[in-house]
Amino acid sequence: MAEVSLKNLTKRWGDFIGVDNQSLEIHDREFLVLLGPSGCGKTTTMRMIAGLEDPTDGEIWIGDRMVNDDLPKDRDVAMVFQNYGLYPHMTIFDNIAYPLRVRGTPKSEIEPRVKKAAEQVELTEFLHRKPKALSGGQRQRVALARAIVRTPKVFLMDEPLSNLDAKLRVTMRAELKHLSRALKITTIYVTHDQIEAMTLADRVAVMKNGIIQQLGTPDEIYNDPANLFVAGFIGSPAMNLINGSVQDGHFVTTGGTKLVPVSAPDRPDVVLGVRADDMRVSEEGQGGIDVRIYAFENTGEATLLTVQWGKQRVIAKGDRHLRKDQDDMVSITLDPDHLYLFDPETGNRIKS
Amino acid sequence: MTGKQKKQITSAIQTILILIAIFIMLVPILWIFMAAFKSHVDVYQLKLFFTPTFENFGLVFDAPYYLGDKLLNSTIIAFVTVLFAIPIATMAAYSFSRFRLRGETAMLVVILATQFVPAVVIILPFFVMFRDVGLLDTRLGLILVNLAIVMPFAIWMIKGFIDGIPMDTEEAAMVDGSSRIQVILNIVLPMAAPGLLTAGIFCFIIAWNEFLFALILTNKDAVTLPIGLALFKAEEGDLWNLLSAAGIIIMLPMFVLALIIRKYFVQGMTMGAVR
Amino acid sequence: MRDNTLKYLLVLPAVFVVFATAIWPLIESLRLSFTVGRLNRPGSLDQYLGWENFTWAFSQEPAFWNSVWVTAIYTVLTVALTTLFALGLAMLLAPGGKFRSGVQTLLILPFAMSPALIGVSFRFMFNPEFGLFDAFFGVMIPPLADVSWLADPVLAFAVCVMADVWGWIPFLTLVLIGGLASVPQDTIEAAQVDGASGWRVFKDVTLPQLAPVLAVVIILKSIFSLKTFDQIFMLTNGGPGTATQTLSHYIYFNGMKYGQIGYAASVAWLMVIPMIFLTYAYAKFVFRKD
Repeated sequence: MAEVSLKNLTKRWGDFIGVDNQSLEIHDREFLVLLGPSGCGKTTTMRMIAGLEDPTDGEIWIGDRMVNDDLPKDRDVAMVFQNYGLYPHMTIFDNIAYPLRVRGTPKSEIEPRVKKAAEQVELTEFLHRKPKALSGGQRQRVALARAIVRTPKVFLMDEPLSNLDAKLRVTMRAELKHLSRALKITTIYVTHDQIEAMTLADRVAVMKNGIIQQLGTPDEIYNDPANLFVAGFIGSPAMNLINGSVQDGHFVTTGGTKLVPVSAPDRPDVVLGVRADDMRVSEEGQGGIDVRIYAFENTGEATLLTVQWGKQRVIAKGDRHLRKDQDDMVSITLDPDHLYLFDPETGNRIKS
Repeated sequence: MTGKQKKQITSAIQTILILIAIFIMLVPILWIFMAAFKSHVDVYQLKLFFTPTFENFGLVFDAPYYLGDKLLNSTIIAFVTVLFAIPIATMAAYSFSRFRLRGETAMLVVILATQFVPAVVIILPFFVMFRDVGLLDTRLGLILVNLAIVMPFAIWMIKGFIDGIPMDTEEAAMVDGSSRIQVILNIVLPMAAPGLLTAGIFCFIIAWNEFLFALILTNKDAVTLPIGLALFKAEEGDLWNLLSAAGIIIMLPMFVLALIIRKYFVQGMTMGAVR
Repeated sequence: MRDNTLKYLLVLPAVFVVFATAIWPLIESLRLSFTVGRLNRPGSLDQYLGWENFTWAFSQEPAFWNSVWVTAIYTVLTVALTTLFALGLAMLLAPGGKFRSGVQTLLILPFAMSPALIGVSFRFMFNPEFGLFDAFFGVMIPPLADVSWLADPVLAFAVCVMADVWGWIPFLTLVLIGGLASVPQDTIEAAQVDGASGWRVFKDVTLPQLAPVLAVVIILKSIFSLKTFDQIFMLTNGGPGTATQTLSHYIYFNGMKYGQIGYAASVAWLMVIPMIFLTYAYAKFVFRKD
């Protein structure tokens, strides 16, 4: 068990910058998620921690040891790969036993430990099969078992659920969460799926273009996004971002509609962020701003109304019993307590 | 005519064309097969129906032809060529596949290009050198020059197979605690085994069928099967029944080997240019 | 051991073998081409001669030009015929199914046959007294019976081309079937739905998408056609006269039979030049970026 710390870590390939001078402290026993779109540097960061990629600059510390020059095998980490990386020519038992064997664990110890790991991921009955004979979810479990059969200093998980179908992903997510709480080992988890990040993480680091945009608990990055990118990336449907200005303590859209009072000084250019959840939908003329419905969607658990707001379209969430049609008029009210203002130039949040 | 009738006619024409193609493909092979089982008299009387005999296969192994010696030479030469080529090619292929080397593209292009150098260019200096060091008409000499034609195929073919092994698996093994050498021995070799076997068989066929090198470098002791065919030219003309029997001994094992690796045959010849 | 050292150690033996078995003889051939280079005259292999071997070939040797022409016509004919027939056969066999894939498997047989043996087989079939064609024509077209196929310059050349085409169609067909399989089916279906006839679909949709594979096939076949030796040696041995003497055969004869290894090396190097262009074209396809 150990902390992991990255100090001014950089990875460049020629002119391309994968990770740009980033520092990050991961606490002992913490579950940290690296979240971001593809190409943001999250996987590169993890691969550098594993030793599969050499950093161009900076230091990687695991516990009290600088591991930059250590081979992957000497870093005492375990990793679950996106495509599982199972050994197709070995049985499940041998797959799980491999990390022990290659480290010279005594024979008598191997069998009970493999059995215990298999039990933890409910694989006991498949031990004598080859990976080919297993389903996607089962292969995923083998990869997990292979990681937990030892007690490494750090778990690394690279998009471990992304190859599963939607339903299985939800089940495995819960199992993963259960397991990680039980094992209490420092875990770094890479994903592009914000729901995985929200549900699994103690803390989330949101990355873009090789730079960590925000580091915080799931609550913080959802309720208190640091910039436009984080605001737009977290939440489904994505946060509505409306261009406009602040005049006389009110947000005014580019179309000139005075929308809602905000507590910020006047400025000509500003982006207002508001989540679909934080908009109230009511009948036309009932207090809010009247808008025309561009598309009405019923998801079963709620309704989504895409409405035309001047030149922009905005998505609001309505009651699941609401029934409207295209081109109907509705009234929208914004919740003044859950509004975010951003500087369109820098993308940074404007805090009052 | 309805669309359905049109389809049926097209399909019938296609079937007929395919059957004609099969016929043309098989005739020269069958012609040799038939002659090999004909008696001396039957060959020269052009019989389509005859009493098959195995006597030709006995004759070719006897005096003065001793095809057995040539068979042994061919087998040893092809086998040892493969035995040298595959391990050397595998090492290089792994490195080319997994690492970035200085001058990598240049090396790969040169290796690719050597396959296309006409054999007749390569063999002239080798003849001179072998004459000086006494390697003419030896199996070792032939094995050495065979490496020239086999290596580029082997390297490119095995590289293709290793490229197909997911990186994930190797990286998993490294994180699990393997050194690079252990990764190669425990993970890559077992996973690439079918590919190595395929490349080995492919090289075996090339070495077995090789003609020009053997023609120039051997005359008595190290003569291989394809050169042995020339034995059956007598004063009175070609001894077709014996020639055919020898031909079957040359081609039958290669047919069997080629069918084993048929999935990869094309891949081997085009070396990744056609996907 | 660190990967940085290991990766070079791993390629070292292969690089050495390729160098010793291919690069060195190429360079040594080039050196020999500038020497007197008589096999039976000791010391002549180091006797510098300048460009004389080359000028001799160009100005004094009708047999050289003959073999250049034979090789050129042979290459053009075999490449064109093999590619055409193979394309047709590939179109016939590409749809798959049990029957067709069975035939595809059968196609491997001629290709696994050694070229020398193909030469023997065709010599046998075209034997004027007891060959297959003699028997066949004897029944079907009596005037063509007893034709001495291999004694006539033009017919012998035609038989050589036929043997080559026969031996190479299977391989090219298999490559083209692979190429056809990689043409996205939905583009073909889209063209059919758009109302194109079978021929138009082939010409407008299939053929353009098959072009890179076709190019590779043509380059590869050209290389192998230029080098042709084995079949010719067993089938006609260059004859009658020099009617079927390809460059490889000409080089072999001058170098080995006449012992003029310097001269043979210079002609061999003349043959390397077109190979360099073809190899360059081929390498471009292998290393193209997708």
